Amino acid sequence: MKPFHLILLVLAGVGIATVISMYGNTTQYVAFPDAKRIAIENPGKAVHVVCKLNKAKPVIYDAQTNANRLEFYGFDSLNNESKVIFTKPKPSQFEQLEKMVLIGTYQDDHFLATEILSKCPSKYEDAPGAVKSSK
Amino acid sequence: MNEPIKNIVFTGEWLWLGNLGHAFTIIAFIAAIASAYFYFQHESSKNNSMLQWAKRCFQLHAISIVGVFVVLFSIIFYHRYEFYYAWRHSSNALPVYYMISCFWEGQEGSFLLWLFWNALIGLVLQRSAKEWESPVMVVIAFAQIALGSMLVGFHWGDFKIGSSPFDLLREQRPDFLNIPILGQLGVENYLQVFKDGNGLNALLQNYWMVIHPPTLFLGFATAIVPFAYSLSALWRGSDRGWIAPAHIWSLVCAGILGLGIIMGGFWAYESLSFGGYWAWDPVENASLMPWLIMASAAHMLIITKATGRHLFTSHLLVQLSFWLVLYATFLTRSGILGEASVHSFTDLGLSGQLLLFLLAFLALALVVVLQGKQRKIALFSILAVMLIPMVLAYSIEAPTSVETFYQWLKGLGTCLFFGWLIYYIYVLYQRTKMEMSDERMDSREFWMFLGSMFLILSLVQVFAATSIPVFNKLFGYKTAVPTAADYNKVQLWLAMPIFLLMSLGYWFKFRETDIASIKRPLLVNTVLTLVAALLLTIGFAIEGYQFILFLVLTTGVVVFNMVYGIKKKKTEWKRWGGNISHIGFGILMMGVLVSSVNKNILSSTKEGIDMAPEVDQKGNQDNKGIKFNRENQLLYKNKPQVLQEYTAIYLDDRKGLGVDSIDKYFRVAFVKKNEQGKTIDSFVLEPKTQNNPKMGLLAEPSTRHFLHTDIFSHVNYESSMDRKEPYSNFRIDTIGFFRPFITQTGKVVMTIDSIRRTKETAGLKLVLAIKAKRLGDSVWLRPEFMINEQTGDFEMKAAENDRFGIMANIINLQIIDPNPAHQNILFVIQTGEKTPVWDYVVIQVIAFPWINLVWAGTIIMVIGFVISVINRIQKQKKLMV
Repeated sequence: MKPFHLILLVLAGVGIATVISMYGNTTQYVAFPDAKRIAIENPGKAVHVVCKLNKAKPVIYDAQTNANRLEFYGFDSLNNESKVIFTKPKPSQFEQLEKMVLIGTYQDDHFLATEILSKCPSKYEDAPGAVKSSK
Repeated sequence: MNEPIKNIVFTGEWLWLGNLGHAFTIIAFIAAIASAYFYFQHESSKNNSMLQWAKRCFQLHAISIVGVFVVLFSIIFYHRYEFYYAWRHSSNALPVYYMISCFWEGQEGSFLLWLFWNALIGLVLQRSAKEWESPVMVVIAFAQIALGSMLVGFHWGDFKIGSSPFDLLREQRPDFLNIPILGQLGVENYLQVFKDGNGLNALLQNYWMVIHPPTLFLGFATAIVPFAYSLSALWRGSDRGWIAPAHIWSLVCAGILGLGIIMGGFWAYESLSFGGYWAWDPVENASLMPWLIMASAAHMLIITKATGRHLFTSHLLVQLSFWLVLYATFLTRSGILGEASVHSFTDLGLSGQLLLFLLAFLALALVVVLQGKQRKIALFSILAVMLIPMVLAYSIEAPTSVETFYQWLKGLGTCLFFGWLIYYIYVLYQRTKMEMSDERMDSREFWMFLGSMFLILSLVQVFAATSIPVFNKLFGYKTAVPTAADYNKVQLWLAMPIFLLMSLGYWFKFRETDIASIKRPLLVNTVLTLVAALLLTIGFAIEGYQFILFLVLTTGVVVFNMVYGIKKKKTEWKRWGGNISHIGFGILMMGVLVSSVNKNILSSTKEGIDMAPEVDQKGNQDNKGIKFNRENQLLYKNKPQVLQEYTAIYLDDRKGLGVDSIDKYFRVAFVKKNEQGKTIDSFVLEPKTQNNPKMGLLAEPSTRHFLHTDIFSHVNYESSMDRKEPYSNFRIDTIGFFRPFITQTGKVVMTIDSIRRTKETAGLKLVLAIKAKRLGDSVWLRPEFMINEQTGDFEMKAAENDRFGIMANIINLQIIDPNPAHQNILFVIQTGEKTPVWDYVVIQVIAFPWINLVWAGTIIMVIGFVISVINRIQKQKKLMV
């Protein structure tokens, strides 16, 4: 009975440790200033920032100069503004995105995003265009 | 506004079809209730007439479900857009073979598919379950009632049960009746405007999307059978007759679900652009979770069958896998994942109902496991009181004034839920525990048990990570969803002990093993494995100790099971099932390792921006940021570009077939030469983009499959996405007739040859004929100028010529001599030349080595499951006789 229970106990321990370490690794959705702080305290740790594009400032993407660089300015959920550089080509309909989640780290004067999770405003919605096109 | 609409007789609607469908839904719902009732009565009274009634009712239910299916398909097939479902999910352009995919784009269709599979499974059980039919069918019919309620579509004010697929467009979207054009046509003729539907999601228009969802749903549906057997056994008291059929069904479920999951991966790989087949997306995880536990349960049932041990764990796992199916449904269908997943499903406002659905089954399980009437009644009333506010709290948007109260209520509900779950497990344990002698470490059941536990550990991590959006909602946290790397890091290590146990387990015998007799074969196997793994490590060029260890262990799974099969089972192929499944799984995981660790981004480039340091101050490798940079290359049209061992040339692009096609195919040639400069390989890939008006640019990859590697490509950006002025090099000349003038670069010489005046209602229209000459070639340009004589306004229309790449526009007139006969008019003419455009694509090209092992392993694994199921069924039949 004993060794068997011991094994179960060890397994349960491993399970709990796994979950705790995983939750320890997760990040909260943060604002740009927090991202800056985290980048200093814990270099290389990726954070998530919920961001809104600043439409008043230019979105720079020139594929012929560098296909893997998109530069824009965005506001986080507390309305802090920051320059953002994204290391992939410009997502389609980028200027129309309502909200996006940036994943990356803060660097010098900008947030370096390696991933942008976006939800296109019209995705899966009944776009008014559908009515127009049915004429 | 609602009142007058009711009195209007709308023309052209096929309301009878919707009514027929709705009638079928209600008949199916009522028949399921009746069937459950009669089966229940038969189980308690053993009255045979009850059984006959129950059977007939369920058959009626099954026929009605087929009826609903046919009606919904007809609505889509005949483009009856007066029904919201058809309008929302289909369109006239949709080919017939994709019409079936409309069923799984919408929730109602998905539930219908689930009902359909369950009904089919019920019919199979009526024939095969024998003395277990009644209790098992009570559970199946109960599920049909719960699922059916999602489709009934009753509304009482704000409260609604289900969402009917036969709702009308004009009721779902009354705003459409207010569109201006209907003012002229008359509201009653609205169908003349809605002649086309919203269309099927472009991503679903793929042949894999015709076959993957039904397979996955069948896998989900079969999970109910072992669950039903488990409950039946608890209901009847401690009976072990349930284990054999539950085991067969658990194998069926694990096989089909496994196949469905990998099919989904294959679809993602072939038609989505994230570059891979598995992304640890919550929706993928949702289908993986029941599979992990079902695989675990299948092994546990073998132990219980062979030795009588671990009855409690068998019950628990079988039930858990079904609850995980329900949980998966809740996760993917309630909209709770929101932005956490790329597969977003619309929220039909059924979250509360889905939650109730989950809880109803838990309640059913609890009622069955408890004994003694008072306890049931007491518990039920408590639960009813506690659960109602919880469900309400989830399903109704909280007014801000009582937000904290709602939070508190939710927290209480959650605590109660977990308390209830723990109590249930405790009671289950009390009922199914048994006193047994100590577990021997030299027994097969010990190692199998351990393997199952590691599968559960794997589940624990996936569950904890996938449920983060749920916890966020429950407790108001703002935790970000883990990335794929977070999963891989943990799962890599959890998989290894599983491989080890998969290799060793078979060599032990149930109860006890003569260790001396297996020492030699195990040693031989180990040596074989190490030799094979060494060769494979070199062959696959695997680096990194953890990956080499992984490879050794997966090789072990293949070797140990192969040798065991050859030695012990020889040509009795029917007994090979388990070994073949293990071998297939080993090959599958080997493929996963090689294709992801040695994934080679051919389009990666050295140029690009300065990135975060690859190695931080502590000397740790930073694996999060750097890898994702510089993955795309720009290819100019007709300009060869070296992509590692290949030379890629963007040849041209073509539009998809069909007049209004929005597809664009980019033909990119890949050439590989050897050192002598001889071409050893060349092929053309055609990655596609679709400029979808609803979803933006959709890129569909194109892949060249070789036996040992895949070359995968997809377009991320292309030159026509740049917003550019078509003309530049503008020049303005003020010039009279017959005087030559040139374009900015001087390549084209033009003269104004003649003018034509016409009087039109809007005013005087002047058309100039300008002759443009270039190297002995000439074309005519005819710019227009319109003057409104009353207001003095003017309008101009430029003339262009594509062959010469020029344009000319009359900007103004200067009349020197008012006598028109003298033709003393000067024209202010702007000329322009086409901006030179270099067409280009920004493309990502990835080589996936040995990805075919993933697909081959899956097929082998499924074959193993099929053989096991056949073998078990035959054994079972022999026992019956």
